[in-house]
Amino acid sequence: MRRRPGIGGLQNAAAARDQFRALGDNVAKLRTDLMKEQLSTFRSQLEDFARKHKNDIRKNPAFRSQFHEMCAKVGVDPLASNKGFWAELLGIGDFYYELGVQIVDICLATRPLNGGLINLEELCKLLRQRRKTAREAVSEDDCLRAISKLKVLGSGFEVISVGKRKLVRSVPTELNKDHNEILELAQVQGFVTVEEVERRLTWSSGRAIDALDSLLDEGLAMIDDGHRDGKRRYWFPCVSSISSFVGTDTL
Amino acid sequence: MQNLGDFKLPQFFNYPPYFTLQPVRETRDKQVQLWKEMILDYCRTQKIYVIGLEEDFPLFTNHVIERSLSHEARQAFLSALVSDGRAEWMDKSHRKCLILWHGVQDWADLILHFVKENGLEDSVMTVEEIRTGTESRGTELHGMDRTLLMRALKLLERKGKLVIFKGNFGRR
Repeated sequence: MRRRPGIGGLQNAAAARDQFRALGDNVAKLRTDLMKEQLSTFRSQLEDFARKHKNDIRKNPAFRSQFHEMCAKVGVDPLASNKGFWAELLGIGDFYYELGVQIVDICLATRPLNGGLINLEELCKLLRQRRKTAREAVSEDDCLRAISKLKVLGSGFEVISVGKRKLVRSVPTELNKDHNEILELAQVQGFVTVEEVERRLTWSSGRAIDALDSLLDEGLAMIDDGHRDGKRRYWFPCVSSISSFVGTDTL
Repeated sequence: MQNLGDFKLPQFFNYPPYFTLQPVRETRDKQVQLWKEMILDYCRTQKIYVIGLEEDFPLFTNHVIERSLSHEARQAFLSALVSDGRAEWMDKSHRKCLILWHGVQDWADLILHFVKENGLEDSVMTVEEIRTGTESRGTELHGMDRTLLMRALKLLERKGKLVIFKGNFGRR
């Protein structure tokens, strides 16, 4: 458009701008409406789907986890509230709250033995033993979801990754990088020696002993002087494959 | 899980560090607790009354994981039982320990109950008869440790429930 001088030119330009804006608004509104419509269709489809596969969602952990994933993608959180459509439809909120309570119980009961750090696998195993009578199967994914809900309690429940494994922490201890590396190393055999830590992580002996001592103090490690070679071993109940070395009846 | 005869060993028995006394207080408390329970359970089910610290007590060694309790650890666990009133040292040097899965008072009650059940009031019995006689067969008294039995009988004597004769023992 050629710029023309004078008031008429300015008025023309302003009018054109207004028209463009109106058009733009219109297009944007159309798009939003369309999106909204699509989303609401999707939601209602999702609800239909949930209704239809209610039993699968309840009973099949793999199905449940996929369902959660799908929900997350459209911004629906079936766990956000215990009230409302989702909870009523699926009873899914209750399921996770129940899991959460049982997880807290198990963590507290095993704390004297593992210092408040427990292998996720082990936790699931204990959880399953405890829920023997319940019909629904429980997957690790379910555990993780239940734990993420526990975070609102602010009691320091957290899942940390050490090496390949996931550990659930129920004490507010901060594990620093050194501790994590030792735990990772310990996953191989369930224990480490000072020598091994020095060699594998190329640490000074002071650093290794320091880190091991603080793990001992936290109750996360136990010493073992009984081996034939006379070298002190540090065992970590939280990573040991020896499953629940407390009778399940005490839990 | 391992078994020792018909005794089902707890899982911690297979975890090597439980055979070393733990330096950290809380961990050690839990360790001592688990050992106490296991020792009492084992003695109760296997009818063991006396543990000798220097003897080969089956619980003190786990051959599968090649661990064995040090003398210090043995003494620590048994001392914990002693301070709970569930055991008593039999000598000053703490070499032998009497395990009381029933307290002396409980044993005394068992004796009274046994006497009443069998209509033996006002009769005379020898200590050996109580321990090995036909009447006591099938009761907890059968095969009972002699020292412990004497302790229970003396307790009853003090309460005037029976009289112990020299050479021959009687009860009322």
